[in-house]
Amino acid sequence: MHRDSWRELKQDQWFIAGSATALLCLFLVVAGPWFASHDPNDISFSPLSAPSTEHWLGVNDGAMDILAELLHGMRKTAGFGLLSGSAGLGLGIFIGLAAACFGGMAERFLMGLGEILLAILAVMILILAAMFFRPAPVVLAFLLAFLSWPTTAKAIRAQALLRKESLHVRPARQMGASSAYILLRHLLPELYLLYLMGFAGKVRSAVLMEASLAFLGLLDPNRKSLGIIIKYALKYYYLDVRFNWLLPPIACLTLLVMSLTCLVISLEKLFDPRLREWWW
Amino acid sequence: MTRAFLRMLPAYLLAGLTLIALSHALPRFMPGDFVTAMCSGSHVVLNGEEDAELRRRYAHEEGCFQYLARLCRLDWGYSQAFMTPVSRLILDALPWTLLLMGTAHLISTALGFAAGVEAAWRRGQAAQKISVEVMTILEGVPEIATGVLLLLVFALKLGWSPAAGAETAYAQHGTWQRVLDVANHLVLPLSTLVVAYLPGNFLLARWSMLLVLKAPFMETARAKGLPPLRVRYAHGACNALLPLVTRLGLRIAFMVTGAVVVETIHSYPGLGTLLFNAIARRDIPLVQGIVLFSSITFLAVNMGLELFYGWLDPRLKHAS
Amino acid sequence: MKVEGLSVGFREGGQVLVALDRVNLELEGGRVVGLVGESGSGKTTLGKSLMGLLAPNALVEGSIRLDERELVGLDETSLNALRWSRVAMVSQAGGGTLNPVHRVVDQVAEPLVQHRRLRAGEARNEALAALGEMGLSAAHGDLFPHQLSGGQVQRVLLAMATILDPAVLVLDEPTAALDVMSKGLMAEVVRNLRDRGKAILLITHDLDLARSLADQVLILYLGQIMETMPALDLLVRPCHPYTLALGRSYPGMGTLRDLGGIRGETHGRRLDLKQWQARAGGIVPPHQPPIRERAVETGRIEFEEGCLFRHRCTQSIDECGRRAVSLVSAGRHQVRCVLGGIAELLRLEKVEKRYGRIHALASTDLALRAGELFCLLGETGSGKTTLAMIAAGVVTMDRGTRFFAGRNMDAWSKEDYRSLAREIGVVYQNPAEAVSHRLKVFDIVAEPLRVQHRRRDSAEVRTRVMEVLSDVRLSTGPEILDRYPHELNMGAVQRVYIARALVTGPRFVVADEPTSALDPGVQAKVIKTLLDLQIEKGLTLLFVTHDVGLARKIADRVGVMLAGRVVEMGSAAEVMQRPRHPYTRLLMEGARHSPGFHRRTHETKRLSAERGGCVFADRCGWATDGCTLESPPLLNVNTSDHWVSCFRMDGLKSSDHVWKPETDEEFSRRSKNKSAGCSL
Repeated sequence: MHRDSWRELKQDQWFIAGSATALLCLFLVVAGPWFASHDPNDISFSPLSAPSTEHWLGVNDGAMDILAELLHGMRKTAGFGLLSGSAGLGLGIFIGLAAACFGGMAERFLMGLGEILLAILAVMILILAAMFFRPAPVVLAFLLAFLSWPTTAKAIRAQALLRKESLHVRPARQMGASSAYILLRHLLPELYLLYLMGFAGKVRSAVLMEASLAFLGLLDPNRKSLGIIIKYALKYYYLDVRFNWLLPPIACLTLLVMSLTCLVISLEKLFDPRLREWWW
Repeated sequence: MTRAFLRMLPAYLLAGLTLIALSHALPRFMPGDFVTAMCSGSHVVLNGEEDAELRRRYAHEEGCFQYLARLCRLDWGYSQAFMTPVSRLILDALPWTLLLMGTAHLISTALGFAAGVEAAWRRGQAAQKISVEVMTILEGVPEIATGVLLLLVFALKLGWSPAAGAETAYAQHGTWQRVLDVANHLVLPLSTLVVAYLPGNFLLARWSMLLVLKAPFMETARAKGLPPLRVRYAHGACNALLPLVTRLGLRIAFMVTGAVVVETIHSYPGLGTLLFNAIARRDIPLVQGIVLFSSITFLAVNMGLELFYGWLDPRLKHAS
Repeated sequence: MKVEGLSVGFREGGQVLVALDRVNLELEGGRVVGLVGESGSGKTTLGKSLMGLLAPNALVEGSIRLDERELVGLDETSLNALRWSRVAMVSQAGGGTLNPVHRVVDQVAEPLVQHRRLRAGEARNEALAALGEMGLSAAHGDLFPHQLSGGQVQRVLLAMATILDPAVLVLDEPTAALDVMSKGLMAEVVRNLRDRGKAILLITHDLDLARSLADQVLILYLGQIMETMPALDLLVRPCHPYTLALGRSYPGMGTLRDLGGIRGETHGRRLDLKQWQARAGGIVPPHQPPIRERAVETGRIEFEEGCLFRHRCTQSIDECGRRAVSLVSAGRHQVRCVLGGIAELLRLEKVEKRYGRIHALASTDLALRAGELFCLLGETGSGKTTLAMIAAGVVTMDRGTRFFAGRNMDAWSKEDYRSLAREIGVVYQNPAEAVSHRLKVFDIVAEPLRVQHRRRDSAEVRTRVMEVLSDVRLSTGPEILDRYPHELNMGAVQRVYIARALVTGPRFVVADEPTSALDPGVQAKVIKTLLDLQIEKGLTLLFVTHDVGLARKIADRVGVMLAGRVVEMGSAAEVMQRPRHPYTRLLMEGARHSPGFHRRTHETKRLSAERGGCVFADRCGWATDGCTLESPPLLNVNTSDHWVSCFRMDGLKSSDHVWKPETDEEFSRRSKNKSAGCSL
């Protein structure tokens, strides 16, 4: 199955587009700061100057190089997304599989907790927390992860319960394999598509969340992130600087989100064969 | 009553209580003296009298239930930044948000549904393929990008629509003129939201309709010699509606955040802008009020939808 | 409704998946036509094409006429006017065919609103009445489909299908998901509909249902009609090898033999688009979208020429692959087969054999159909082994003629006999004596090959031996190959001799009591292997046994022998369940050890066919004087495949004792003597 799905993915245009864009973003995120010839916090340039060979995207009102700011901002935003996404995914996998394997009270408790968390607006909790405690973004990322695990956990539990009755897991159980063995040997690797899907989806929403929070001004304004750049650039949208100041971060954010959306869509298609068959 | 609703009820109630408890308790966890902490970062300068009043209010140990009772009386605190009761501010902003978000959801759901159903019906055709591709790409564009682009193009470049506000200030309009004016102001934020929500609805409606098309009862409907429109909607689309309604419920989760970005970009005087301003001025009671209000609304709407599912799909009502 | 030359293909890229191939069918009012076949045979496609409900990529050729109106190529609007009002269907999926979000009564009423323009209220009342006729109350009507049981759903579907009183009804697997009780009810409803003058097409894989409900049955295979027959002949008198194989796979209450299945698998049948068009005369129906030509991979086209079933058939010959065959009338059947239906592989006519003064075999006829397992039953000395060995060509006969694969064997040359020996394999009653003690297993199995090909040792022989040994589920290692038979256990020895019989790849195998010396456990395994091989290789088996219970489990047809004569012959189910000859009944009851049954064979003197009259007359409780004078001819009973040689069979009731009852005194005397043997 593994090889099959990989072969199929390689032929899917959405996956190709999504992963290509995601790789580009990743490259910018990892290698970006080396390209930036200036320190993003250096305020020694003339404010609001137009793009030049020295400053490719010009200088903002705080006299900082916009390109440097942008590259750092992308790093921050993507980093927030990746951190929160992986934490949420890990939590989701762990809780989902645990619920499926242990069953009984533990399962009911975990899934009930999930339902409650699903009924609460994550963004509101984040806003409250940010308002009251002004925590570091890392803390917010983990808080978001804690609030976003139930979707993944629910999906994984449902699939795991299905697989538990499936062809090769049941025989394993009959052979006397322990729960832990089945969990690690069969269920964990079986559902890898679900992990990928959950991961891409979570990173996507975390990126959007970070941008929104930053845009709202809930994050440290000195911390460069796409949302904050957009927030400040938006104040001057009626000026000509919009082309070098406002549009680039928006384009970057769109690129990030779009790549993740493409990945989610192609993975969903792969995971649900009905969707695959009928996509066109 | 659907079983699902009854099963979910405790979760919803618990979630609501958690929210209220959290909202009640959070201020008490703030480091240091509450009033100082609360006001230190804000743009509000308190005079001695107000300071004393606040201290008195928070020093007075209020139990969770009293807090709840106070909430029920619409006494949600007093905004220092706006010098107005929180409830007043929220209730003033609410109609605009409802107008904007309601219309946006209505249009994008109805349009997305119809377009999705039709696209599914015409599967395999070139136009349909292109529409799916376009919608998939649009699905990847965040609201913030659409909003800014629309603003730049239509308000600044072309000057077709006003760039800010919900209606022309201080204008003396007749009823119809006022409606037109409001509609004119609504167009940009509304289209931003529709562009943001439509693709998802479209793709989902198309997908669920594709599944329904394969169902045997669709063949029965055709075999009965029913006209195509009746086959498509009375038999097909009816069954494809459920996922879309679920999605609508989830979308409402993003209502406030969505509204924040779009309303702020277009300076639309709704809840989102209010929240943005409240945060900007570090007006904690107001933020708290908005957060609590929108969370509870989210809960209520989802509970309502849960009831609606049973009506949409009788299988859910009787499912054991 | 009349269907002529209907072909349906589904376009897949440049290829066409053929679902129906020139099907002719006529539906008349008051008649039920059954359509039977495996899944993938095109049954459902045929049903759908009658309603114009094929998928958009379907290519349709031929004609479907309804009241002189052509349906193929009709536009959707005109079709819609005909659908349900003239032709209605109950489709396969059961509950899935009802829309889950509408109440059932509304769905039943819907056609009334659409076609008859009734008001909602009237339509609802009429729908409730229709549901009432099917035994469903108004309360049921207000439910949603998922709240109904499978049987109720089926009744709703039937009520819905008949609400506009259509002339033609297509029932696609109407009972597939139902339990026996609901099935019976459904059958009753279908019979009522037929009596009301509806033309019904019953699509099913349930052979018993088709047999009991239909008037005529069509056997569909890969889109071609293989056989048409009166429904009563289904299961009993198949003419096409496929029909026989279907019957053998069907777990009906009437079949006694273990399920056999059909060897091989079906493959979808694909044609190039061009080939399809060429066959159809290049005409693409007007309502089909224009076809865009694409590069076509060649070499994937199967089955274009010749019989579609030949790869799975038990009697296929080279010619089957060479020419396409059409349906040919054969009595009340129509059969599509190069050989004209199930062929007779072996035919013995008026065969007689004497051993000295003993008349071992009176003039006897025997015909074996290709692919069947024929069991010769009878007591020791009844001549069954003699008959079997004559059939195998091991024993010469005194009088009579033998035909193998349609050719008179007496006219055969030496070369013919060599090839004959290759075509016939024999498993002897006491194989150890039929084979030299000094041969090892490998040589035992290889010997027939060496004799045949006059070759010593070669890689070819070795591979073949290995192959056939693994066919009989024996290991091919030295632990078997280099042993002498007496070093192996009984089961393995018997397998070795079966392998020896099969090594030349025969079509016909004679097995003379191959397992009578084995323990039941071992016997079961050996028999199972043999039956599996029969299906896989398409063998025709002549099985000789005295074990009635065994015969019941393995035979397609049986012949019961007594004193050198066949007294009763026919399909195993018929003979075993409704034996007509008193001796057969005695045999059956003996095998069942019925209370009150006492063997009296020891009291009767040895019978010989030489004497005139019925060979059973001495022991028969029903024998009259006439019975002892003249020997009764083997006559066909009813219309089915059942032959009995008895003058009194029509007067015999099933409750009658067929043997002379013993008096109590006789019984007690015999019990004291303890002389009652156990063998029959």
